[in-house]
Amino acid sequence: MKRLYRISPQGHGTPPTEAEIARYRDPKRLLFNYQKAVRRPDRPLYKDPKAFITLLLIVLLAWFVSEVIDRPPDPPAPEPSEGHR
Amino acid sequence: MIGYEAEQKDIAAARSDPRRFTVLYERYFGDIFRFLLRRSGDRDLTADLTQETFLKAMLALPRYQDRGLPFRAWLYRIALNEMRMHWRKRKEVVVDVSFVEARGLSEEIGVPVEDEDMERLAAALGRLDESRARLIDLRYVDGLSFAELGQVLGIGEDAAKMRTHRVLAQLRTYLSLRA
Repeated sequence: MKRLYRISPQGHGTPPTEAEIARYRDPKRLLFNYQKAVRRPDRPLYKDPKAFITLLLIVLLAWFVSEVIDRPPDPPAPEPSEGHR
Repeated sequence: MIGYEAEQKDIAAARSDPRRFTVLYERYFGDIFRFLLRRSGDRDLTADLTQETFLKAMLALPRYQDRGLPFRAWLYRIALNEMRMHWRKRKEVVVDVSFVEARGLSEEIGVPVEDEDMERLAAALGRLDESRARLIDLRYVDGLSFAELGQVLGIGEDAAKMRTHRVLAQLRTYLSLRA
């Protein structure tokens, strides 16, 4: 990101007054947003059927993939011995 | 100005009861608002960013570590991250600097710049990379002490001093080359 500097006599413009800043100050809204951010979900995940099935599918898929990856390669077929020809 | 110990008590109280955080919010709202307004230039946007800064601070308060520095510097760090998040999609940012701040900076550089020649200084500042430019903004536009600067940038006070002197030397070179 490029920064362009603009130097002027007034700089950042008129600074905000204390009254103006006080208008934007809202501790109730802050506490409300905080409560909203930390509140635990109303229903636990294991009691939500949709979320539970989704989770189960993910776990099953992960298990299937790990089984496929971990499976040892098939041993080579034994070559027929001379005597049997 | 609140004492260091009284501030630590307020922080401890806010940790045990989030509602007590409003004491810190009331005290520092103005500082953070002005800090962000200098960067955004838009009052409504600044109000939103300030609110978001305090919410992040409130959520991160259990992880706050006292390093003997003002709490304000920790808030500046969060505010700066908020500003950067807001700017992340921008290719260009305009930083406004007043003649008074620019004159103070040019004296520190050791190359006095006259009012009619401020464009040279602006061009030199524009050549700095983002981290160096941020350091100059915090020190000479926001007026942070080296200790606060260190806290905001996540480095020690001595490292902040050393980096600032290096950036000033770089600016001196840019200004001398163009003289």
